[in-house]
Amino acid sequence: MQNQSRLLDIVDRAYDGPPCEERDFDLKHVAAGVARVVKEYDIGFDRSTFIQRDDDMIDRLFEASLDFLESCGVYNATTGRRMLFTGREIKEYVASAPKEAVIGEGRDAHTEVYRSVEDPRPPTIIGSPIGSPLSEDMYVPIMQSYIQEPIVDTTTPGTLDSTYGREPRTQSPYEVVAAWQEVDLIFDAARRAGRPGMSIGCVQMAISEIGHLSAISRGGYRPVDWHSIAMFSEMKVNNGLLIKVAHSVRTDGVIQSFYNPILGGLGGGEEGVAVLIVAGLMAMQLMYMAATHSSAPVTPLIPADTVPQLLRSMSAAHSALSRHTGMMTDLPISPLAGPGTETLLYEVVAAATVGTVCGASRLMGPRSATGVHLNHCTGLEARFMGEVGHAVTGTSREQAEEVVQRAVARYEPELTGKPFGKPFAELYDVAKVRPNAEWLGIYDEVKEEVASWGVDFG
Amino acid sequence: MAIDPKYSELVTNIENGDEDGGIEAAKGLLESGVDPLDIVQDAIMPCLKEIGDRFARMEVFLPEMMLAADVVKGVQDVLRERFSAIEVASEGRVVIGTVFGDIHDIGKNIVAAVLEANGYEVHNLGVNVDPKDFIKKAREVDADLIGLSSLMTTSIPYMRDVIDLVKESEVDRDRFKLIIGGGPVSEETVELTGADGWGENAADAVDAVRALMESG
Repeated sequence: MQNQSRLLDIVDRAYDGPPCEERDFDLKHVAAGVARVVKEYDIGFDRSTFIQRDDDMIDRLFEASLDFLESCGVYNATTGRRMLFTGREIKEYVASAPKEAVIGEGRDAHTEVYRSVEDPRPPTIIGSPIGSPLSEDMYVPIMQSYIQEPIVDTTTPGTLDSTYGREPRTQSPYEVVAAWQEVDLIFDAARRAGRPGMSIGCVQMAISEIGHLSAISRGGYRPVDWHSIAMFSEMKVNNGLLIKVAHSVRTDGVIQSFYNPILGGLGGGEEGVAVLIVAGLMAMQLMYMAATHSSAPVTPLIPADTVPQLLRSMSAAHSALSRHTGMMTDLPISPLAGPGTETLLYEVVAAATVGTVCGASRLMGPRSATGVHLNHCTGLEARFMGEVGHAVTGTSREQAEEVVQRAVARYEPELTGKPFGKPFAELYDVAKVRPNAEWLGIYDEVKEEVASWGVDFG
Repeated sequence: MAIDPKYSELVTNIENGDEDGGIEAAKGLLESGVDPLDIVQDAIMPCLKEIGDRFARMEVFLPEMMLAADVVKGVQDVLRERFSAIEVASEGRVVIGTVFGDIHDIGKNIVAAVLEANGYEVHNLGVNVDPKDFIKKAREVDADLIGLSSLMTTSIPYMRDVIDLVKESEVDRDRFKLIIGGGPVSEETVELTGADGWGENAADAVDAVRALMESG
């Protein structure tokens, strides 16, 4: 999976590849490249559905993405060069992706697996606010509320709103202090939940390599935690990210890659976003030697990945990767709505169903209330995400489509509003870390309604 | 507003991102005696506005907006060459960039393109921009407004650094409006940083910029 020879070969390409102006890369290689393959391979989604079921089209999407990745490559913004890969290399490296990984340790160890479309095995459940801002005083109870949920297999924390009362500035000593505070607090939350060996996605507080390298060292995050490394913007990396890769390879950490293309950006519409997801995740398999691969596409108008266009993009992209590779993919759920609202739960139903039946190995989130509002997240919505994922496991895409149609109909009218819900302290007994009657009541009602749609919660 | 058919070739070339074609069309209009200011006000501005509106409806995307802006810049150069005494109209000058510590550029580029599509002169500084460089560029181009983008909560303090530099300067305090935007930015961030305004998304950013410009 990971080795230093391959790492060095990748880094060499950052210095040996053809030089390119960044704007030319954006327009001539990414934008024109995506537009070309969407046209040449006749990629078009069925706008009347969310889950794309035309397997011929899905297969063409995969071929189109391979073609695009080979022609475009990945831009290294530090060296100003394109890192190029041949079609043969792409196929060989993608084929070497692990189909299984053990994360965590002891009785909290979890084995995650590659999943096929309509796979009968449930996805791994990452219960997490995914970097949402948390205050220092609420950090441990909020994260405990996720970790203590039995259906949650692993987590990744929120971000600290402050570090010992200071602003956690990236690329400053505060970043290192904050990264270590995250280590201390998340392991405290895991201990309090009685799951000290749970694998943690890290390092949320380390935007730069400074915090990453520091907190993944002696006494900090472990090799059994999953080390999260991004590709930024469209098909771009820099040496800071490759430094993170070099460190995690050397420390034998499980690497999780992520890349979030923008609808309406260089890839254009929803089909182009799907091309970028497939090509981008394969690119990170090549460069990062990642075990798992994540993509949460975004829109410039509504800060949620539950909008219909992106449900289609994610459905097609995950299906294409599942049908043609053994890569373990991760579908993060970023709803617009926040805790204490029915809307959040309907959004979770739609996205969790899409991910589960389209072959995602992991469901992650929910990143409630757009991931922006302080302490607007609770473990209860992660419980619900896991329950939905387990309940729709093995469901056919046709049946799943009906569920998604019903869910979207319930929440789509709310997407133009601001249903950000309530903060944790208004929905949980903070001392006991238990959801209150109000939030449980909403959860029960929605769950009952979703069950009436044919979703068997057991 | 319907665009006069005499501008159709120019408008088509702007929409198609054909810079050479746009320049030739503009030269043809000038040679036939059309006033350059009319070309700007009656053809270029409404065309760019339409492209911006189409983006808001997700009918065109960032590449089309970037290419259209390139054509307009080329056409404006031609107009200036022929009539150097004439200042091409602009809704205002904006310096925009992603703040220090953050390397995300697509969202910021979309806002820049939408602003250009709405008639603003945009100076895009790129990503990971040092706070002092925003001020330096804003002074250099005599900007009306500085736009600060960040996708990372840990880069928000650098937004405030730029804002503090402006507010603490007697020279700049009343000169530059400051607007912020990006994934983690909310109304609370505006309060925290002391910005003059914020844009929740690309379309909202234009409204916010317009409101700030009108507020003087």
